[in-house]
Amino acid sequence: MKLFVSEGNPHCLKVLCALEVTGAQCDVQFVNHEERIVPFLNRPTLPALLLPSGLYLFSSNAICRYMFELNGQESSELCNQWLEWEATDLQPALLQALHMAVVQGKGSEVSKVLQGPLNVLDQSLSKGNTPYLTGEAVSVADIVLCTALYPVLSESSLALGEGRSVKAWFDRVAAMHSCQSAARKVLQGKGLQGMKSYMQRQPAPHSSQCRETQPCNS
Amino acid sequence: MALRELSSLEKYLGLKKPNKYSTQGDKKVPVLQSSNGPPLSGLVTIACHLVKEAKRPELLGESAESRAVVQQWLEYTVTKVNGSTREDAKAILKDLNLYLQDKVYLAGNQISLADILLYYQIHPLILDLSVQEKEQHVNVTRWFDHIQHYPSIQHHLPVIAVLRNRIYTSRHH
Repeated sequence: MKLFVSEGNPHCLKVLCALEVTGAQCDVQFVNHEERIVPFLNRPTLPALLLPSGLYLFSSNAICRYMFELNGQESSELCNQWLEWEATDLQPALLQALHMAVVQGKGSEVSKVLQGPLNVLDQSLSKGNTPYLTGEAVSVADIVLCTALYPVLSESSLALGEGRSVKAWFDRVAAMHSCQSAARKVLQGKGLQGMKSYMQRQPAPHSSQCRETQPCNS
Repeated sequence: MALRELSSLEKYLGLKKPNKYSTQGDKKVPVLQSSNGPPLSGLVTIACHLVKEAKRPELLGESAESRAVVQQWLEYTVTKVNGSTREDAKAILKDLNLYLQDKVYLAGNQISLADILLYYQIHPLILDLSVQEKEQHVNVTRWFDHIQHYPSIQHHLPVIAVLRNRIYTSRHH
C-alpha cells in the first residue's frame, strides 16, 4: 500500500493521523498539490491510497475507515453517521471557513460559518456524556472529525466560541501523539498559513445561499 | 427525493415492513426512527442500515478493500452528485466515464449499494444528456443502462433510452 499526501492539505491530516493510530503498513510519499495521482480523476485529488489490488481510494474518510478496519475496528452505525455528517455538513462549512481565514484574511467572520455544525457537535457530546463521539474509546469518527477541525480549533485567534463539550473533546483527541505528529507534518508549525498555497489552488466554495438557488436533484 | 430513494431501496431489498422516516433541517436529511436504538440520520447511513437489516452484507462489499471502495462511492454520490450544478455534472460524468472504462460495477465484480444509490442520484444528469453526449460518455451510459435494467431497482424512476449502436462515428474513445 502506498499513501500519497501533500503539505498544507487539511484532508491529509486525517489520513496521517489514522495511519499512526492504527499502525497500518503503508509507504507514505509527499507530493506536490498539483500532482495527479488518481488516474481517473481530472482534478488533482489528495490524499490518495494505492490499494494492493491497484485501485485508488481518493476519499480521506474512506481511507481512514479502511485503515481502522484493517486494524480490526469496523465502523459502527454511529460512526457511519458521524462520517457522513462530516462529509455532507461539516466539510462544506469548513471549506468556506478556511477560504475566508486563509485566502481572504477574514478570520473574524469564520465563527458565523462554523457555528451551526459546532453546535450540533456540542449538543451531541454533552447529551452523550461519553469522552468520545461514539463511546468510551477513540473511534475513526473522533479521528476524522478532530483532524478536520484541527486547523480552525487550534487557532485561538479565530475565537470560535465552541461549546464546552466540544472543547473538552477536542483537547482530549488533539493531544494524542498521532494527531500532533500528523499536524506537524502537514501544517509545518505554521498554523493556518501552512495551508495558504493549497487553499489558493482550490475553487472558491459556493456560499450556502447560492447553493440553495442552484439546480439540485435531491 | 432521499425518502423516495430509501423506499425504492426497501422494495429492492424485499423488506416487508416499510420504515417510517422524517427529515431534519433545510437540507431535508432523512431520519429513521428505529424501535431498538437511537434514531439514524443521513441517506448513506440509513441505506447501509437497511442492507444489514435485509441480511445482504455482500451489497456493502465482501472484503475490507471492496467495502472501502463502496463507501468511497457512496460518499461521492451524496457529496458530489447530489445537488450538482451543470458545470459539476460535466466533471462528474468525465471522471466516472474514465473510472468505468474497464469496470462493470463501481466496486468489485458484483452489484453493490454504491451502484444503486449512484444510479438514483445520477438519473437526472443522464436524463439531460443528448444522444451525442451519451455516446461521449459511453462507459457511464453502459453502466447506467445495465443498472437500470437490474430486476426491481428502477422503481420510482423512468427508464432512459440508451442506444446500443453508435450513430456518431467520428469520435474515438
